[in-house]
Parts: sequence; structure tokens; C-alpha cells
Amino acid sequence: MSVKKLLMSAALGVAMTVSATVGAVAADLKVGVSWSNFQEERWKTDEKAIIAGLGDDADYISADAGGSPEKQLADIESLIANGANALIILAMDTEAVMPAVLNAQAEGIPVLGYDRLIEAEGVFYLTFDNVEVGRMQARAVFAAQPTGNYVFIKGSPTDPNADFLHGGQLEILQAAIDSGDIKIVGEQYTDGWKPENAQSNMEQILTATDNKVDAVVASNDGTAGGVVAALTAQGMEGIPVSGQDGDHAALNRVARGLQTVSVWKDVRVLGKKAGEIAVALAKGETVTGSEKWSGGKKGVEMDAIFVAPVPITKANFNVVIDAGHIAKDVACANANADVAACK
Amino acid sequence: MRILLIIGVFFLTMVTAMAENAPLIDEQSGIYIPSLTNDQAVSNLHTQYDGGWDYFVGGGVAAFDCNQDRYPDLYFAGGKSKAQLYINQSKRGGALIFGNSTAQNLNINKVVATYPIDVDSDGIMDLMVLRLGENILFKGLGNCQFERANEDWNFDGGDQWSTAFSATWETGKKWPTLAIGNYVDRKAEGTPWGTCSDNQLFRPADSDDGFAKPQNLKAYCTLSLLFSDWNRSGAQSLRVSNDRQYNKNGHEQLWRVEPDAKATEYTRDDGFKKLNIWGMGIASHDVNADGYPDYFLTSMGDNKLRMNTGAGKKPKFKNMAFKLGITAHKPWSEDSALLSTAWHAQFADFNNDTLIDLFIAKGNVDQMPDFAQHDPNNLLLGKPDGTFFEAAEKAGMHATNLTRGAAIVDLNLDGMLDIIEVNRNEVPGVLRNLGNSQAMGNWIALDIRRLDDNKHSIGAWIELRINDKIQRKEITVGGGHASGSLGLHHFGLGEAKLADLRIIWPNGQKSDWMTVKANQFATINKQDSALTFWSPPDNAEMMH
Repeated sequence: MSVKKLLMSAALGVAMTVSATVGAVAADLKVGVSWSNFQEERWKTDEKAIIAGLGDDADYISADAGGSPEKQLADIESLIANGANALIILAMDTEAVMPAVLNAQAEGIPVLGYDRLIEAEGVFYLTFDNVEVGRMQARAVFAAQPTGNYVFIKGSPTDPNADFLHGGQLEILQAAIDSGDIKIVGEQYTDGWKPENAQSNMEQILTATDNKVDAVVASNDGTAGGVVAALTAQGMEGIPVSGQDGDHAALNRVARGLQTVSVWKDVRVLGKKAGEIAVALAKGETVTGSEKWSGGKKGVEMDAIFVAPVPITKANFNVVIDAGHIAKDVACANANADVAACK
Repeated sequence: MRILLIIGVFFLTMVTAMAENAPLIDEQSGIYIPSLTNDQAVSNLHTQYDGGWDYFVGGGVAAFDCNQDRYPDLYFAGGKSKAQLYINQSKRGGALIFGNSTAQNLNINKVVATYPIDVDSDGIMDLMVLRLGENILFKGLGNCQFERANEDWNFDGGDQWSTAFSATWETGKKWPTLAIGNYVDRKAEGTPWGTCSDNQLFRPADSDDGFAKPQNLKAYCTLSLLFSDWNRSGAQSLRVSNDRQYNKNGHEQLWRVEPDAKATEYTRDDGFKKLNIWGMGIASHDVNADGYPDYFLTSMGDNKLRMNTGAGKKPKFKNMAFKLGITAHKPWSEDSALLSTAWHAQFADFNNDTLIDLFIAKGNVDQMPDFAQHDPNNLLLGKPDGTFFEAAEKAGMHATNLTRGAAIVDLNLDGMLDIIEVNRNEVPGVLRNLGNSQAMGNWIALDIRRLDDNKHSIGAWIELRINDKIQRKEITVGGGHASGSLGLHHFGLGEAKLADLRIIWPNGQKSDWMTVKANQFATINKQDSALTFWSPPDNAEMMH
């Protein structure tokens, strides 16, 4: 698709830009995407995927709040003024964005809350299934080590996702804990999700248990890195450890047998889905595959789709390489011989 | 292009001669940008604010004249290190130079914040010293000496983590009403998450010789307090800025503090809407010149301008920071995804052009990876259309220290406001305002006095009129981040050589309009509401 960028200035007190990327032939519909802080590395991949999801059905217009919830309100007004037929909103502040959402709905413009929950009636919610991430982590570790002493290295105590994840982990392991097959010998939150905090927590647990640890359920790849460092210092590397994010270092640990699983959220799947849903909403069509969900803080019932992540282990290691997420030489450096994708 | 002419005042001419560069002018707006030079190396200010996580917040400075020589002296919080009082030894219009004080009893550790106030109305400034632990009220004795007055004034210093202060004089009271803001309750179970201490409101005892037992005010980890008369009722209400970091369900607060009644919180039903930010500091000014004060609240990411839209009837405030260009949510110095962390904020006229400007102190909490590590302070200059533009870089404000508190005050009495920045783990920034060649506007500096109680006329409003345009200033104690200044009130006059001014005294009584000449120091007393002009000495006193 040939792509050009258009700059339009909106009729607001402060000059702002809305960039538009349109196909060679203009479509009838426009989908407006309001980014929270586009300079964060990840969103460039999401943007490409959203544009792919729109296909030839809708033009893409966007605005970047640059980290300012107040600018995001003005951005959304401006996207509406520029003719958006549906909005995809990645909220900087999910509460502060509410007046703009209500305003869009008042004008009959459907809103999709992308990746972060905007809990309001009529808003479509699209995100990864975070509870499932926790289940996948626990499943992979449990498959490798069905009995013994387990440690939970949880995420940041201030991040609600940390508890979603842990909830999923417990769903899988609770029966084995109740039966006594698994004994929890340590459980710690990790301030700020920092690897160094995870490492020192793990070191303390190893000291307290006299190194009698058989498996570690860590909530993301950063904390898994800290855990593996602590295990390596005691010559215990290689026991089952979980993670999440598909970090390059973590994937390489999977290939080297130092980490059991990294649950990977492929944002290209999420982005493409968002584009497709936005087109359907703009056309007034029903979205296939959606469910009714009311699991937010306020209990508002909303249409939602939860995209399943992919647990990457040595068995399906080719998935991340084939998708172009990581180069083979990086992923497979010093890989174990039993990783087929690295041969 | 406008050229401002400065009338021939000797010391200004000297300063002008010293500034080598041509006027710095913002091309778009034609606004003059002041040049700031850092006098740190010659200032003798070697103090720094340091300590572990319980000193991540705080770091204040009090600016006030403790030896009656008209030159503001400085008391710095030190955190884990000892707090220090420094005596101003600058020459008029010269470099900002200070000497050590002999007041040993002020050299104490665990000081987080400090504010000047004349509690007992004896004409000598006292000091509120807020600490991680017991707060202390120091009574000023003159010659920059102080003595502890907690017992004499029946002030219970408590044992909290105190971070915020404000004071008002309620109608008919000889003694002030004091509000103390507290942060995390470090002794509660589960600390720091969700464990915020109550704040305290100390009102005058009936016996008129100190304070009564305080009222506890429910709070959500307060980092700034300000008594300000948002509805011009004559009674200042207490605005509370809370940090959501440790209590994410907290919110900003406004308390009704009216005579002979317990303080009560304004609710949603009263029209006070919920705002949930990482509240760090409060600056107030009547930004849109409608007669009602507006409030700038610092935070992480977006900073908020809460424009007062209730017309004195309902506590309604509207977010206007983005429209005016003062969200200041990212460092101006780099194009990055990382957001800013803001602390002290203060409105002041740095270029004396009559348009209000805004200083914001910035700096990472410590090493929070999701926020900018190199986060320089902001100097946002006002434009004729009411919006602001960033002038920090051109003015010479490049430092990326972890700034916390600050004082915006004319330290060398040359009619131009200087900036003291308190930095975590670093010596203070000492930014002398050199003006800008011939470009700086005229000014006036006012000392507003009452002769009996409430000597500094807290709660009064100063109105300064030039060509039917009125600048207003409410006299307050409190706000900012951990820092307060009390003394002269500075106004820019632009090209005007004359201005009219009047005082609306705390009881609502209005003085007549009086005409003042530019570039003068003046005192106005309530008793006769007449202007007395005076000249400061050419040197600050060297002793003490």
C-alpha cells in the first residue's frame, strides 16, 4: 500500500496536528486512533498492525497525546472534527479520558478501548487475556515439575496486572497445592517489576529454604532474569522458571534451558484485530467472536475480545523466529541441542 | 518590536552594563527572556538535601529577612543532613552571596520543609520547621536568632512525616490558624501502601496565647497545603494536594474553615469534583484576571491548572493547562517517551512585563525508570494572549538536578526576581536574574503591614492597575513544595512609569487607589493606608 502523511490543523485554541495515512484510493470511512504516548517503542508495531487491519475499508487518522491526558481529550475532539467514524483509544489515563469518550458516543461514534480498559457502557474492550498469561506460566512450569517446592515471584504490588497474573497461576496450581504435591516455600512481590529486586528476593528465599526450591513461577521475563541470576549463583540454573513478554534475553534463556516458558503477546495480532473491529463498528456491523464481560472495577457490562497470548517454549520456539519477532542468531546463541528451531 | 525604557535608576544601569548579550526576545510573541546566571560557585551555599526513601519528597527553603536589613535570608532543609540558615551578604544588584549563621539551634536534622511566618505578631519572623518526626515552631528573636516555642505556644509537634504547611488569620483572631500536612504513616501496618496520616488543623486557643488541641483532617498523603480565598468570602479555605502514589483512591481536597466551626470538607454535592493526581505542590494566581484565584497543581506527567470557574458560588475548577501550554508533562530538553516529575511551582513576573510567568521545579523521585531522569526545571513566560511558552533554555536554566523546593525572591534588591532551587543530593541552584539588557520592564516591591496582629496581612489582596488592566495578588502562607517566602511583594510594571494600587485588607476593607512611581520599594500600613517609600541599604549586613 502506498502511504502518505497528511497534516491537518484542528480548530482548537492550541495548534495541533492529526496525521493521516491514507491508501492510494480514499476509503469511505475513517478510523481515528488516539495514542497515549507514541514515542514508547512498542506502539509503532501496533500502528502497522492496525493499518493492516483497516485494509481498504477505512482510512487511518491518528493523534499522539505524548503522555498528556489533557492533550488526549483535545486529540479526540480533533479526531472527531476530522471525520472519524470510529475511534480506537489507547488511554493515557482511563478515568480522565471519559468525557471525550462520552462526547464521541453522543455523536454516535463507536469507541474501542485498546489494550487498557475504558470502563464505560457501549465501549468495546480489546486486550490480551492477562489471567490466561498466568495460567500459561503455571501450566508450563507444572508440566515440567508436577511436585516439589515452588516459589512465586510476583509483579509490582502497585500494578493490578500483577494480581490478575497471580490469580491465573493459582487457578492451575491450587489443586496440587491442596493435595500437598506442591508446597509454596516462598512468595514475594517485586517492587517496580525490577530484575534486581526479584534477584534479591530470590536470594533471600534460597537462603531461608537452604536452596530447597524445585520450581519458580515468575510473572514476567525481567523478574525471571533476576531469578535465574540468583539460581545460577547457587549452581541451580535449569530448574523450571516461567516468564512473560518475549524479551530477547528471555527467549535466549528458553533456548539455553535456563527458562521454561516466556508467554508472548503478539501485538500484531492485537493491532490487526483492533483495525478489523473498528471497521465493523464504523459500519454498524456486529463484531464476531465478542463476549459480554463485566470484570472491571465498576462492573459495567461491555463487549470484549480477549486475545490469547502464546506460551513460547523450546517445543514451539520457531514461532517467534518465523514471525520476525527475533533474529535466529540472537534467539539461538548457545542454544541447547534439543531446540529444534535452532538447528 | 517593542523597546522598554527603564528610567534612570543607578543600580539598574549598572546591571544593564554588566549584561553583555543583546536582548533575548521570543520571536513569535516579542516577549523578553530574562538571563539567569548561576552564582552557586560564589554563593557559599553548600547545603544539600539528602537521605533515603523517606527523604524522596520534601527539600524546602524558607526565604525571609531575619536581621531587618531588607535582604532576604535563607533557611534550607537538609533531610538526613542538618538544616542550615544562611545570612544574605549580597550587594545591591550584585552577585548572590551568603554567610553562615550562628543560630546553632536551627542546625537540626530530619527537616523536610520550612515556612516563615510571624506567629506571635511581634514584628519578627518566626519559622515553622516540618520534620520526619517532631515539628518545631521557632520564635524569631531578632538578629537571626531563634528559640523553640512549642511549649510556650502550646504547639504539639507530633511525630509524623510532615511535608506541608499553610496558615491563615481567621476574622477577629490574634493568633493564626495553622494547617500541618502529613505524608505516609511510617508506623502503620503495611506501610507505605495505603497508609496516609491525617493532617492537623491548629486554631488559636480561647486564651489568646497559643494554640488549642488540633482537629484531625482525613487526608491522602499530603504534599502541599494552601489557605486561599477561592470564593472571595473573606475566609480562606484550605486546599490540599495529595500524592496518589501511596493511596491511589485518594483525591484533592478543599476544606471550609469558618469561624467558630469545625473544618468540613467540600464534597461532590458542593460541586468540588474528584481529581486524582500525584499532587506535589500548589501555586496560586488569578491567571485569567477575573478576581478569583486559580490553582496550578504539580504532579507526575500532566500538571494541572485548575481554573476557578465557580464565580465565587461553587468550588468548580476546570483543567486549562493544555490550552494555556503549561502541562509541562515532558522534559523540554529532549524528545523522549518519558514523563516529568514536578514539585515546587510558583507564579511570578520574571521579566517585569506585567504578564505572569510560571516556574516549575522538576526532578525524578530518585531513579524511577518510567519517568525522565534528566528533567530540567521550567520557566514558562506569559504571552499577551494568555498562553505561555518555555524559555528555560534561553534563560540559561539547563541543570538537570533533582530539584524539589524553591524560592522565587529578589535576593539582591535590584527589582528582578532570582531563583533558589533546593536539589536532592546536590548543592542549591542560585540563579541570579540579570534581566536582559534594556529589555526588562519596570517594577515595584511592596511591604504590606498591619500594626497589631497578622503583621504581614495574610489574606489581603493587592491590586495593581495599569491602563485599566488589574494584576491581583493574594497574600498567603503555604503552598509550593515544602518551601515558603514571605516579605516583599513584587510586581512587574512593563513600560509603565506609574501604576495605581490598592489593598483589600483581610476584613474586606478597601484602601483608596494610590499612585506609585516605578522602580521603588514601598510600605503600606493598614492604619493609614498610606505609602511610605524607602531605599534598602547598598549592602546586606555582614554580621551574624
